[in-house]
Formats: sequence, structure tokens, C-alpha cells
Amino acid sequence: MTTASVLLTSLSQVSMEKLFVGRNRLNFVTRALLQLMALQYNTRPSLRSYLKGRDGWIDFSVGIMTETGGVEQSISFVGGRVKARSSIPDDVDVTLRFVDEDALFTMIRATPNEVLLLILNNKLIPEGNWAYLQLFNYLVALLLGRAHQRMLDKAARDEHQSRKEACDPCDPDVLKELQARTAYRMRGHKTDPGVHYLEDPYLSEYSLSDFPRLEAFLDDHLEKKPEVCSERPLLITQWFREHGFENDHTGQPWDPVARQGKVFKHLMSQKTPVVRQADLLPGTTTTQPTTGSVVFPDAQGTMIWGELDSIDKRLLIPFDITRETAQTLHHDVFPFWSKRNFREWARSKYGDRPSQNLGERGVAYFVWKLVGISHTIPDFRGLLSKGTRGLISDLVDTLDDPALKDEESRVTYQAQIECLQGVNAYAAHLAAHAANEASQEPDPERKQELEEIARVCAHVPQHPARTLHEALTAIWIAWVALHNENADTGLSLGRLDQLLQPYFEADLLKLPSNSSRQAYIERAIELAGCFFMRCTDHFPLSPDLGNYLFGGASSTQALTLGGVTPNGQDGVSDMTYIFLKVTEMLSIRDVNVNARFKPGVNSDAYLSRVCEVNFITAGTPSMHNDDAVFAALRPHGYDLEDIRDWSATGCVEPTITGKHMAHTGSILMNLVAGFEMTLNNGRHPLIRGHAGPSTGDVSSGDFETFEDFFAAYATQQGHLIGLAVELNNHLAEVHAQFRPTPLLSALMGGTLQSGRDVTRGGAQFNSSGTSNIGLADVTDSLLAIKKLVFDDKRVSFAQLKRALDTNFEEDPALKALAEHGVPHFGSGDEEALAMANRVLSLVHDMYGKHENYRGGPYTVGFWSMSQHVAYGNLSGALPSGRLAYKAFTPGLTPHPSASKSFLNNILDVARLTPEHMDNNMAFNVKLVPDARDGREKTVSTMRSYVKTYFEQGGMQIQFNVVTADTLRDAMAHPENYRGLLVRISGYNAYFVTLNKQIQLELIERAEYGL
Amino acid sequence: MGSTPQPLIVDIKENSLDDGPGIRSVLFFKGCPLSCVWCHNPECIGKDVELSYDASTCVQSGECVKACKEDALSLGKTLVIDTGRCTACFDCVSACPSGALSKMGESMSVQELVARLCKDKPFFDNSGGGVTLSGGEPTYFMDYLCELLQALKRQDIHTLLQTCGAFSFPTFERLVYPHLDLIYYDLKLADPQAHKQYCGAANETILDNFIRLHAMALDGGVEVLPRIPLIVGITDTVTNLGTIAAFLRKHGVEKVQLMPYNPLWRQKVDKLGLRSRFVAASSNWMTQDQIEACADVFRRVSVDVLP
Repeated sequence: MTTASVLLTSLSQVSMEKLFVGRNRLNFVTRALLQLMALQYNTRPSLRSYLKGRDGWIDFSVGIMTETGGVEQSISFVGGRVKARSSIPDDVDVTLRFVDEDALFTMIRATPNEVLLLILNNKLIPEGNWAYLQLFNYLVALLLGRAHQRMLDKAARDEHQSRKEACDPCDPDVLKELQARTAYRMRGHKTDPGVHYLEDPYLSEYSLSDFPRLEAFLDDHLEKKPEVCSERPLLITQWFREHGFENDHTGQPWDPVARQGKVFKHLMSQKTPVVRQADLLPGTTTTQPTTGSVVFPDAQGTMIWGELDSIDKRLLIPFDITRETAQTLHHDVFPFWSKRNFREWARSKYGDRPSQNLGERGVAYFVWKLVGISHTIPDFRGLLSKGTRGLISDLVDTLDDPALKDEESRVTYQAQIECLQGVNAYAAHLAAHAANEASQEPDPERKQELEEIARVCAHVPQHPARTLHEALTAIWIAWVALHNENADTGLSLGRLDQLLQPYFEADLLKLPSNSSRQAYIERAIELAGCFFMRCTDHFPLSPDLGNYLFGGASSTQALTLGGVTPNGQDGVSDMTYIFLKVTEMLSIRDVNVNARFKPGVNSDAYLSRVCEVNFITAGTPSMHNDDAVFAALRPHGYDLEDIRDWSATGCVEPTITGKHMAHTGSILMNLVAGFEMTLNNGRHPLIRGHAGPSTGDVSSGDFETFEDFFAAYATQQGHLIGLAVELNNHLAEVHAQFRPTPLLSALMGGTLQSGRDVTRGGAQFNSSGTSNIGLADVTDSLLAIKKLVFDDKRVSFAQLKRALDTNFEEDPALKALAEHGVPHFGSGDEEALAMANRVLSLVHDMYGKHENYRGGPYTVGFWSMSQHVAYGNLSGALPSGRLAYKAFTPGLTPHPSASKSFLNNILDVARLTPEHMDNNMAFNVKLVPDARDGREKTVSTMRSYVKTYFEQGGMQIQFNVVTADTLRDAMAHPENYRGLLVRISGYNAYFVTLNKQIQLELIERAEYGL
Repeated sequence: MGSTPQPLIVDIKENSLDDGPGIRSVLFFKGCPLSCVWCHNPECIGKDVELSYDASTCVQSGECVKACKEDALSLGKTLVIDTGRCTACFDCVSACPSGALSKMGESMSVQELVARLCKDKPFFDNSGGGVTLSGGEPTYFMDYLCELLQALKRQDIHTLLQTCGAFSFPTFERLVYPHLDLIYYDLKLADPQAHKQYCGAANETILDNFIRLHAMALDGGVEVLPRIPLIVGITDTVTNLGTIAAFLRKHGVEKVQLMPYNPLWRQKVDKLGLRSRFVAASSNWMTQDQIEACADVFRRVSVDVLP
């Protein structure tokens, strides 16, 4: 053990009182620690080697200070020499600003995940370049060596123990009940007009055990950690080193579109072709056959720099990483990108703007463009019908058109051609690799499969697809390519049942006998299953912080089924049911399956099947009402045919399939943050200082009427929305100017006509989607203030404010009154519903004032991913009676205490104005099956809920069909529940991978008996 | 004959999945001619309005004590209600911030009631559900029932009556029967003496009424389903169940439903501050084996037992 780690670990065992009696003492200790670090790095060659990257010594500096002024220290790394100083230089790269000495002391002793909690709770604010903060963390971790490891191990042990303790001993039968669900499967009948071949569309005769290869893939998926892959970052970094990033080899500034086209072609031409053993679909996003993680250092990839040594051991969602990969990323990749990424480009152009600073405090809003922009759906219809050759030929024709004079279009088309050529090169390598594997394959059956794979990817995606296998392969290869261009943030698949049904039918038409058709149907299920399992092959590389913000979220690749065709016919087909069967058998988090239902057109049989799959999998698909989504999209002026062709993106958000750059997950806005600022005259308790304008002091009686207060809320929330929009628009410019996406552009409707990259508004339709979290909590709080303070005058506003400031500890009766004496949203009370609609309308109109960077509107959604937990954890007590730091309700789900009858929840949510929710919503319902009931009765009840909700106007609903007891058992015994699927608010996750707070929120959600 | 009294409604349980087909709203009427010792809805036995107190949700604010003009309330570890002083003004209920105090029994006009029930009609329609009349004993209030059922049928809502069978047949036949879609008919104890002892009234009328209703059902009338509550040591004895089974067999009844004992009823007794006459009541759920043994008694004489 090193001297430093001895000192550091001994510190963690000394009580604070003994060591830190004064500020000066802590300042001294901080300097001593930094000096020790400098000494170690200056004198030990093994450590010193880490200060050097491929391009030379990594020069940077880090400051450490407290807001209270007691501590100010820094450490600088220049030319391989490390120096500690008792001041912070003006040009410091990053400063760790601690709220006070306690926070700094906690940090010194804390485990890495505890440090994250300091950041989340705004007790530690990193200012400056985050890449260098991460590098500093990495160097500290290297210094601590095994001591760091022991801290991690202990944290993991403590956490597991606390999870066990949080759960009472559970009934072992809960596990059996869950496992028994797959044993019985309802039979269906051919009733849907679009179902032509499946006599039993529910495919009840099949189970996972009929598909050994899928069983093996699933087992692999659940057992193996995703592995960090250095291939993409290394290939692009090497290319940029050779060809320049800002300027090309002649010294001329690169046109970023042209540059991205060239680097992408290089990447795809060099990418390793991998065909997983036994798989029917070739290609992988990384070099890993099972699950890999693509690193995007040009986006937020350097955020894992600090975890290179520990990411495989962290508590939540660990990743495998080889020593070689860590070394490559540290020496060869990350230093090149520390100042070349989305965030730094924005900082260099706009400086540290309030919109960015506030966003990074994590309390008020989060803007996804720091990570990626490709939250949309590519045009696979064009790809399958034309092939990449057809797309290239269209581009060449346009380029050759003498009328084309515009240089940007020329560059854009050329870059798109290069990207498509890159995809072709990759497909050719896959074909050659599969053929080579075939030649060495001893098993004749597999040999034949490999030969078929080689033949298929010699044909697609270059040429139009002719069979289901070709179509799925073409989509998959394009998918691999898209996920190497752009970070995996909810890029979605669209309506694959619609798209693939003709290939399925064409294949069947060639088969004369009944038995050959039966065998084909089984093969089609298997192919669709392979496709699903391939889609889980990449998992976004999230820094540990992400586990606390977006627990367990995968890439969230939405697939949309059912609904109506563009001309309004019933869109449910054989392929709809095949995908439902695969969803049921695999029960995986990603693909995120969304089922559309058009009342009056789609059948009860289809809706029943969707409900049965929800029952068996406990949490998927999510269900949407076409009528409500159509109503939401209509004001945008899209053609009806386009509206009817909507698909869910990411979680639930509607996008016009294949021609709409909607970045539907742009902004995650905390509606409670503005509310707390209204209660505190523009201050936010956690952010400290003024986060918004002064709008009146509650305790001084500045609000004479409820309307005064409501207007103040509108001002505060509008202020936050304005800031979030500014940040989102700045970052959109970063994407357009720093890292355009020519491949995605080549696969998007409208770009051929516009000649612009999709990041620059080139798609046919443009918009930015937002999600607004805490609707029910804000509505109920407004109702409580209106009724208790202003209408009935049962309490003074000042008294209510005091109760909130003390978390109701001194006034439990007021809490009880707020909960029971005020009709809440979801109770069936007209005034409560009207208030919810008023907030909805307010939020919608506030975004309506803004335009996005690409010239499109902002759309407004009310789903929450896992932010209702994360934001709830950062918010104080509310007038609704909700205690401080408790989760908000998920999505816009009414509070459990709103009504004894779940039907009132359904009816209220159904009556929210769809036009104000044009980025959809999430209504989360936890249902508990009654073991005594038969499957038919259970499914019939579920269908009745959903169908009535839709007929009454409801937009979206999603189920968790699992009891709190089961979840508690899973919390205590994760080993028995590795694949237990839960729906958070929009996306699916495996329960056992979630942070404890999200687990508890799911356990505590109201449950309704079936 | 004079008109039957106006009822009080104790509760409307919405989204019920266990009180008949589909999704249903269950209406609990206050007042019952029987007083079974195991009564699972003891708040529905008396006809008059009552005060209910739930200590588990009480936040001890003392607001009720302040609001009571009769000095009938005092707050110790829990609230103590002096029923002698209470005039049932329910000022305490209005003052209670947490809903721990509540009023058992509301008078509602048929119009009000139907409007409330119709709210969930879309669920009834999609699930094949409707309204279930329960209690207490709904047939205590046959004039009201007649009006209510007619109003429900005008809205095309499926109606189901749960009854103990202790009613005047001619009035029932005239006022209630024509507007019903389904009857759940409780049979508890076959022995008249035991019935009197445990249920507080004789069972002759009950059995006679059942025989007549069943005959009418066979003749194309309203379907009648006999249901037997299984109360450990009282109704679940082989003798009692065997006698009932023979009775059903004799009259050509082909199916029956058993209702396993639910120990949670005791909490309700506590909330009302009642002292149960059923001191030996078990606090355990029945095992599957116990339930199966009861079912076998019926299956042996070829009477189907519904799940």
C-alpha cells in the first residue's frame, strides 16, 4: 500500500472532531493530500506514465475550494510535473466547489457513489471542464489502488445488506407465481383482417424452449456484463490524428459534414465483422458478440474516464473492461477529446451561461443533447425498397443536376454517399467473414446457416430486400452503423410489423405445403427473436451518475406495433402477432415495445393479446390510443396519412416515421422546481441563491389571491423553460456545427430535397420534444393552496409555508388535511381535473413561445423516465402533503390517495387535453393479479380497463403486473429475479439493476387488484 | 301495505371484480333483518347512521374534540367516543383532517345514486359488468329498489342482487324481481335452530323464497346462484353443508358458490367500536385443503362448485 493510501484510509477512520476543528486545519489537510499526490506522481515512474497521452504530456489543473472560503487549493499537471498550490489559478481547468467544509470532508472519506450523491445534492459543484475532473478522479483512483477497491467492495456489501434489511422475509410463492405465468397461454382466433396466415395469432403452441438459440442468447444477455469497447473511439481518433479535426491536412478548416462523412466511411470500412455463434443475423455494434458499449468521446464518453479502473466493480450496472481497453482510452483516446466534445464546444462558444450552469445542477432540468440527438426513427422503408445503392444513385443524380449550385448541399450529399459506402463495406466484410466461418464450420446445419448469412449480406443492404431474412438483416446492419455514428439515446425502429409483413407474405407464397408454411412461421418467430436479441447487443455507457439519474435505462429502442395503416385500414398483421410472441417469450428491456390501438378499427382480440403479453412479461408493451395521439399531432399540420404513420420514439413519444427529426427526448423538465421557487420568491432551496426572478414572498402575504400565486408559478416555471430551451438550442447548434450525422441524414425523409444534414433542419419535419415531470404533484399542491389557504381559509399561507419548511414535522394534521381534505387529480373531482388541465395548458403554452434550432416547434410530454424519483429526491415537502425527498408520481399518474377507485384515475387521465400533450405521456398502473382467477378473466379485466380508457380519450397506459411482495423479494434476492422486467415511466428496466430509490418507488406505487 | 323505508347507503365500492361478472359497482345498503355473528359488513346491520373511527389513520390533531358540542369525545391514546352523549351531528367528521372519523350511512336520492353509478358505465359495458346491490339487505327497501332498478335498466345497466332471502315474496316479485338480471342468494345454515342462534332469525322464509325463485329461474326467469359463506365451526360442518347439498340436489339446483372465510372482518368491527358476539372467530384464512373438503360435499351429490 502506498503512503498516500495509508494516509487517506487512516483519515477515513478518524473522527471529524479530532482532526478538523477549524477551517484552516482542513485547508492544511487538503494541501497535504494534494502535495502527497504530487509527490507520488512525480517520483513513481509507474504512476508518472499515466500523465502522458499519445500526443504528449496531459497538461491540466484542478482547484478545490469551499463556498464558505476556508479552503482554496489547487494541483497542476504540466509537462509531466505535478505541483500543489495554495491558490487557484485563473486559468484552472476545473474547480471542485464544495458547499462547506463538511461536504469536502465527506468527499475525502467517501466511496465513489457517495461522491455522486454529493454532486446530486448540490453539495459539490464541479465548475469547468468535466473531462479533467474525470481525469483527476482516475489519477486519484490509481493512487489509492487497492484501498479504492476495498472501499468499493465495502460499499457493495453494505448496499446488498441494506436491501436485504429493507425487505421483510417474503413468501416464496411469489416467485413461483411469476414463473408460472408463461406456463399457460391463451389461444387466439384469426379475426383481424390483416392476419392472413396465423390460425392462432397468439401462437400459443410456442414457448421459449422451442427456440434453443434464443434461450441461449437470453441467458447470455442476462448473465454477461456489457463490455466497454475501444474500437470505434480508437479508429476515429487515429483518423482524426492523421487527417485533423478542426483543420484538414492542408490546414484548411474542415467542413464538419464532409469530415464526418469521411471518418464514418473509414470507421465502417475498418470495423471488425462479428457473427455471433449460432446467430442468424450478422454484425454487432462493438467487437463483443453479446453486449458491448460503444464509446463516444466526441459526445460525453470522457465522463467515464474516472471509472476506467473501477467500472467493472461498481455497484449499479457494472461494465467489463479489459486493462488494454482502459489503457487505450486513457492514453490514446480521451486526451484527444478532453476539449473536443459537445459540452466544451458549447462552453467555448457561449461561456458558462446560466442556462448551462443551472442545467448541470440536476435539479431543474436536464438536456439530453449533451449525450446525443438521434432520438428519432430512420426511414427503413426507403432502405428496404431501394437498398443503399438506390439511395446512393438518388444522391448522385441530385449531385449531377446542373441546377445544384449550393455548396452545402453538395458537401452534404457527398458525405451521405460516403456513409452509405461505409455501410456497404461493412456488409461486404460481414459476408466474407460469414463465408469464411462457413468454410471452417464442421456442423453441416450451421454451415448452411452461415452460407445463407453470407449470401444475404452480400445482397443487402446494397440491394432491395426480397425476403424477411434479408429485410431484417438490412435493418440490423443499418442499425449497427447508426449506432456507430451517434450515441445510442433512444434511436427507434418504427413500425416493423407494417414494414415486414409484405416480406413475410412473399416468403410464404413460395411455400406450397402446409407443413413447410408451419416451419416457416416458426423460423419467422426465431428471426424476429434474433433481431430482438441483437438489439440488446449494445448498452449505453453511462457514468455511475447516470445510474442515479436514469436507473437501468437501456438504449430504449422503441418498436411500434398495430394501429392503422397510412390509409386508415386495420394495421394489425401476422407480423404484429409474431413480434408480440417474441416480446412475450424474451421479456427483455430493450426493444421497448409499444402497441397502438385504434378504437373502432383494431380488434378486441388484438388488445387482449397485448394485455396478456403485459401479464406474462409483467411490464410490456406500453399501449397507445391512436385517436388521442392523432388529436395531439393534428395541430402541427401534418397530412393525415403521415399522422396515421406515427411511431413511438425512445419511451413513448410520437414521431412521423422516417421523416421527422423530432429529438423527442430533448428536455426533462422538473415542474416542481418552478413551484418551489414560487414558494421561495425565486430561490431554490437546493440550488442556493436566486434561480429565478422575485415573484413575491409567501410569508409576507404578497399573494392576495390564488390567481396571484398561479401567475407567479407561471413566471418561475416559464423562466426555467426559457433557460432549458436556450441550452437545448445551443447544444443543437453544437450538433450541427461540431458533429453532424450524415448517415442518419441519408436515412431520413426530406434530406434529399433539402440538401441539409438532419442536425441542420434537413428532415421533412422538425421539432424538439420535452418531458415535464411532476404534473400530479404540482396540480395537487395548487389545489391544496387554493382550497385550504384561499377558498376555505383553513390555514394561512405563512402557516402552510412553515409546515413545508419543517417537512410537516410540527404540523402532521395539516399534512393529513392536505391529503384527505382536498380533492386531488384522479379523484373524479371536476375542479381537480380542471386544475390539471390548466397546468397542462400552461406548460404547453410556455413551450409554444419558443422555436428550436432547426426551425421546428417544441412539443410537450408528460412522461418521466426515472426522473420522478431523481427530481423527487431533490425536492422539499409540497402542499399536497408529499414529504420532502419522496418520489413524485411517475409520468402524470394521479397520486395513489386520490381515490379509492382506480376507475376515477382512469377517467380523469382520459380527460386530459390531448392537444397539450403532443409529446405523449405515461400513465403508470401497477396491477396485482388474483391467483384464484383464470387467465381469461384476468386478461378480460385488463382489456376492459384499457379499452374504456382509450374510448374515453386516454392517450397512453402502461402496466406493471407485479406485487409489492414480489418486488421486495427481488430486492432481497436479486439472484432469483435477474430478468424481472419493470416499466419505470416510459422505458423498461430489469428491477434488480435499479438503484434502491427507484426500487422503493416501484414497491410503494399503489397497486390495484385484478 | 305502506311503503318501505328510505335507505341509507354505507358505501359504493367501485371497480369490484369479485361481486358478479365483469367490473362492477357494489352498493351497500344499511340495515339487515339478520344479524349473523360473523357478519363481514357489520356497519350495514343497523338501519341508523353511525360514527366510525379508524385509529390507524388518526393523527391525534384533537380537532374533533374541539368541534364536538356535546363533549362526547376525549382523546387518549386513541379517541374515546361516549355513545350516550353523541347526538350524531357529525361535526367531528367535518373537522377531522385525516378522515379517521367517518359517517356510516348517507341518504341519497335515486337520481343522485344513478348519476354516480353511471360514471363507470363505460367500464361495465366493456367488461360485461354492472351494478351489484348488497348490504345489509337491499330488500329492506323495496320501493326504493324498484325505482333504482328501473332507472338502472333504463340506462341498460346489468343488475345483480345479493340477498339473504329474508323478504316478503309477493312484494319482491312485484317491485324488484322484474328489474334484476342475476340473483346471488345466501344460504347459511340448514338447521332452523342453528340459523336462529347464529343469524338472529328463522330460515323457513329464506328456504321457501329460494325454492320459488329457483323454480322461476328454471322457467326462464332470473338466474339464481346460491352462495354459502364458510364459517369455521359454524357453517362449514359436514352436517350443515351436507344438508344444504341435499336440499339443492332435491330441488334440481346444479351449481353453488362457496365463500371462504375472510378474517379481515374483525378490523371493521373494531372501527365501529362494536363488541362481537362471535368471540371464537378465527383470525386465519382457510387453507386450500379445507376449502376443497367443503366443495367435495357438494360435488359428491353432483352439485357443481363454482370457483
